[in-house]
Amino acid sequence: MRKELILFSILAAAALPAGATLGGTAESVVTDQSKLHAKRAVVDRQNYSVHEITSNDGTLIREYVTPAGKVFGVSWNGPTIPDLTQLLGVYNAEFQTAMRAKRGRRSSAAVHNSDLVVESSGHMRAFRGRAYLNSMLPSGVTEDVVQ
Amino acid sequence: MRPVPWRDSAAAAATAVLLMGLAACSGGSSAASSSGSGTTGVTTTPPPVNNVQPVLMDYGPIVNGQSVGFNNTLYTTVVICVPGTFTCQSIDHVLVDTGSTGLRIPASLVALSLPYVTDSSNNPIGNCVQYADTSYQWGPIVKVDVQLAGEVASSVPIQIVGPTNFAAAPSSCTSGGTPAQTVTDLGANGILGVGLFRQDCGSACAAAAPPAVYFTCPASGCVPASVPVATQLQNPVWMFPQDNNGLAIVLPQVGAAGSVSLAGSMIFGIGTQADNALGGAQAQGADSEGNFTTTFNGKTYPGSFIDSGSSGYFFLDSPTTGLANCAANGDANGFYCPPSPVAFTAINSGPNPRGTGVAVSINVAFAIANGLSLIDSPSVVFNNLGGPNPAIFDWGIPFFLGRTVFVGIEGQSSAAGTGPYWAY
Repeated sequence: MRKELILFSILAAAALPAGATLGGTAESVVTDQSKLHAKRAVVDRQNYSVHEITSNDGTLIREYVTPAGKVFGVSWNGPTIPDLTQLLGVYNAEFQTAMRAKRGRRSSAAVHNSDLVVESSGHMRAFRGRAYLNSMLPSGVTEDVVQ
Repeated sequence: MRPVPWRDSAAAAATAVLLMGLAACSGGSSAASSSGSGTTGVTTTPPPVNNVQPVLMDYGPIVNGQSVGFNNTLYTTVVICVPGTFTCQSIDHVLVDTGSTGLRIPASLVALSLPYVTDSSNNPIGNCVQYADTSYQWGPIVKVDVQLAGEVASSVPIQIVGPTNFAAAPSSCTSGGTPAQTVTDLGANGILGVGLFRQDCGSACAAAAPPAVYFTCPASGCVPASVPVATQLQNPVWMFPQDNNGLAIVLPQVGAAGSVSLAGSMIFGIGTQADNALGGAQAQGADSEGNFTTTFNGKTYPGSFIDSGSSGYFFLDSPTTGLANCAANGDANGFYCPPSPVAFTAINSGPNPRGTGVAVSINVAFAIANGLSLIDSPSVVFNNLGGPNPAIFDWGIPFFLGRTVFVGIEGQSSAAGTGPYWAY
């Protein structure tokens, strides 16, 4: 039983080469990146930084981090949708609840709640999306940077 | 009421397909006599195959006496057979999707005994597909012969969605998203992906094992795996012996109030028979991901695409378009709700698929009406239903109404050039 659990957690980590979830800290990014031999780059911007990680199928995942080390936004762009349970963390449930209320719309996803915003679009072989928390945008930074 | 005659005609179509298959086996002599050339005993070009597959938009499949279809869904009837046999079944109300590749049928509908496709270790292969709305489908791969009109694709890998006797979907596949595993989930009896590509994933899944596409499924559990291109889900059209360079979807126009149903055609081949000539259609290439650029109000939006599986025009956002969003707590949540219809024009552009180096630009006019009024009406076919989709254009099924839209499959050539391309 324990063995299965360990295997499962390794698989879950392998499913997404990004450890930091929306609203969480960016600390685990470095650990996961080295564990997974994923390509990673950090770009510093005015009042935030961008951590870029490329998964093995070429999907580019960006994490937008406040000066205090909190992830205020994430985005993805590539052939597959990353594991959103990991990327959005506790906010995935809120996103999925909102999506279920939109049954009948067959296309992209766009949830604009008061704090949480998630947009997911594209088609097989070309997906893109982003999520951010309005409450955590650093001062002087707009949601337009998350893309 | 409506699906009943559709089922009947579907059964008749399936029978016709089987008879045609048998006739084809009797050899070329019937070809010569039917051509009326007067020659006998001479090998001639086989007669053209019936390449016209009926398509339909309506209330969708019936589950427990209730229609479960969504608005603006294009359906067709697919015949699947045990490979190399005439043991077949007909499945109506399969969603026709130019935004994906491969045939995916809910396990509950499959009456045939179809063995799993296995890898080199004899383990079944599981497939996960995730859609942009974060819904997913999971299940094993099997092979069938696929019959559409008079065309047959042999030994096509397809996905059986959600069988209870197969491993559960891995968490990387579900990703917390909404299952599209049952007929009711999906609003359709499966998905027929006839998009721009030959395979769902292609070389990327042969060279590596992306986290949530293909899996090897030994008894100990499913793990991500690379899968050869030939074992992946295939666009059945490119596997036809003829008329395999693409297809055209032909649908009539509807009025501003929409319609309760609509009948049209899916014609296989581009410029291969008298009925599928390009005519005045302009061909516009798509990139290796299937995207092109749409220009709107002088601004360019790369990453745009055409998708018969999308139920509306999904484009940009309320501030950019000036269109009000529908109320979040109403029936039309996720759509645009302008008080009165608004007309727009945009320009789609892509490389000339003949490789001339000159871009092809095509003007597109469309209108968006009040989504709540449309959705609350009895109609289910709309040419003016739309919603937000930040920074890109998803030209969904309304784009196909009143048009002939050609889908040029990657690596396949026609007078328009080499795919992937659209022509309309």
